[in-house]
Amino acid sequence: MPILEIKNAELSIDNKKILKRLSLNVNEGETHAIMGPNGSGKSTLSYMLAGRDGYELDNGSITFDNIDLTQLSPDERSNLGLFLAFQYPVELPGVSSTNFLREIFNSRKKHLGEIELSHLDFIKHLRKVAENLSIKDEMLKRYVNFGFSGGEKKRFEILQMALLNPKISVLDETDSGLDVDALKIVSEGVNNLKNKNNAVVVITHYQRLLDYIKPDIVHIMSDGKIIKSGDADLALYVEKNGYSEILNEKN
Amino acid sequence: MKKTRNDQFFSNLEKFVNKVYPNQPQRQPYLNLKSWPTPRDEAWKFSRLGKLARKNILPLNLENQQNFNINKLIKDSISLVFVNGKFEKKLSDKLLSKIVIEEVQIEDFKEIINKFDNLSVKNHPTLNSTLSCSQKFFKIKFKHDSKFYKPIEIFNLGGTENTSIHPFIFIDLGKNTDVKVFQHYSTYAELLAPFEIINLSENSNLEIIKIYDDKINSHNLSLTLSVIKGEANLRSFALIKGGEFTRSEMHTLLEGENSKADINGIYLSSGNQHHDLTSCVYHNVPNCKSSQIVKGVLGEKSTAVFQGKVRVEKLAQKTEAKQMSRAIMLSDKAVSNSKPELEIYADDVICGHGATVGELDEDQIFYLSSRGISKQKAKVILIDAFLNEMISLSISDKFHNIIYNETKTKINKLLANEHE
Repeated sequence: MPILEIKNAELSIDNKKILKRLSLNVNEGETHAIMGPNGSGKSTLSYMLAGRDGYELDNGSITFDNIDLTQLSPDERSNLGLFLAFQYPVELPGVSSTNFLREIFNSRKKHLGEIELSHLDFIKHLRKVAENLSIKDEMLKRYVNFGFSGGEKKRFEILQMALLNPKISVLDETDSGLDVDALKIVSEGVNNLKNKNNAVVVITHYQRLLDYIKPDIVHIMSDGKIIKSGDADLALYVEKNGYSEILNEKN
Repeated sequence: MKKTRNDQFFSNLEKFVNKVYPNQPQRQPYLNLKSWPTPRDEAWKFSRLGKLARKNILPLNLENQQNFNINKLIKDSISLVFVNGKFEKKLSDKLLSKIVIEEVQIEDFKEIINKFDNLSVKNHPTLNSTLSCSQKFFKIKFKHDSKFYKPIEIFNLGGTENTSIHPFIFIDLGKNTDVKVFQHYSTYAELLAPFEIINLSENSNLEIIKIYDDKINSHNLSLTLSVIKGEANLRSFALIKGGEFTRSEMHTLLEGENSKADINGIYLSSGNQHHDLTSCVYHNVPNCKSSQIVKGVLGEKSTAVFQGKVRVEKLAQKTEAKQMSRAIMLSDKAVSNSKPELEIYADDVICGHGATVGELDEDQIFYLSSRGISKQKAKVILIDAFLNEMISLSISDKFHNIIYNETKTKINKLLANEHE
């Protein structure tokens, strides 16, 4: 069953074409990796999926569970079960982490038609989930992402993913700024959430993350489109030979 | 046709005073002010009184006939109610034995006013009008060596269209006291000119929270003069949300060593409202600290002003003074003015100031929306965060939620009218 279908997506920013007839299908149970050099449009793709203002399609379509995503706001997309782990998570001074997590958790529950948790039950649930990601209570008492280290920010993204239990998660450069230990924790967190009914799209520069999160399909993105797809070996090939050979081959 | 300024109020005031208080020459000197300040007066450059100057406002001399509902914020507080500027014993709570409310004469506090005479409050419309025409001058005295657990809530009520009311209150803290005061301004007066004097004796602590919520056509020109002795601490917080024109003006004199003054505030401005927080802190002695921190949210066509001045005398070494203003604009028709001033004559001081004005951060809104929170809700969360930080910084924890709730209705209104 396809969860996400992107067909011939075209998108420009400031009259410059960034995505050029990009197509991608993700099925339930799959893990995809999107790799590509700087400026190939990877982050634009993630913002487009999340529905950021200014990232609307010029042409093409995106459907999620057979629903046309292009007409939906970011919050509606999230409530349907789409999650974006930010490359640069945003600091929210004055917004308590615990309150924020409870707010988004209950909002998702409401949309799933499930019962919202009381404050106490939520705290219990949160502690358990946080512990698995080596997130200490002390961090949850701070403001959202405020003064967090790079690793803490990324772990906090995965914590949100775990609480929201999305159908599809897009992880934008989640490995950047992580040391090996943190990389293991984060990857384990993602792997634990993976099942046959959901899907993960990992956007990354390096193959390193893919040692921990095993992709079923690897796509190479360049100049706003996917130029080559293959199995996990494609990532290893890129790691060894760089992008240039694939890019040249295409030209 | 545009009506011209006629400053009618001041001739009305003179007639009133001469008729009602013919035998009180002590009021006469304050009748020398004959007109409203103009934009040429530096202190009123951003807060224009042209509209008041065109009105025919009469001082209100009515005995109160009405019954008022007194809505206390704190259940066990002691309420003191002023209607039309006059103290209403019947509507107020009974005082504790260590609090005395007494009538005083201008001579009794003249000395304090004189300390500010050279410091820009000379010929102030509030000081002059209220000292010349207020029926009675009240002093609330807190006896020395006492901690007052129950807050005092002072209510300013009453007023009608085209009339002015002039409450005067002198808050006097004895040595080693600890007092919390809430001041409510909720009148219908065309002009409310509350003049307050605060005297903090050695080692006393006053937390005063002023909530300006007058009815929509009101002009409130509140003026407070405070004198702070050694080891004493003034924590003042103004929440401005009501009226058509509200100015909270505070002059604070630190004249005892190791004393501290925090003159902070929040303004929430909508429609055509004009809100003004003006504060001057005078460091006259060494080793004192002060802060003037103001945050605001502006919508529609509202305007706001923060004028903060710190003056550090040559003697006042080791002064620490901080100034900061931040405004969030929800409309491109709103205007925020910020005028920080540092006047420093000492050389061993730490003084800082800064000002920012901007819209809500698009990145923050997107981050929240991407987690399933609607754009509107995201804005509420971000404004709450902006204000909560300020409330936490400025007032006791136990009052936090009370003051936060006081901002709520106004914030919702501001967001509902965001695109108008």
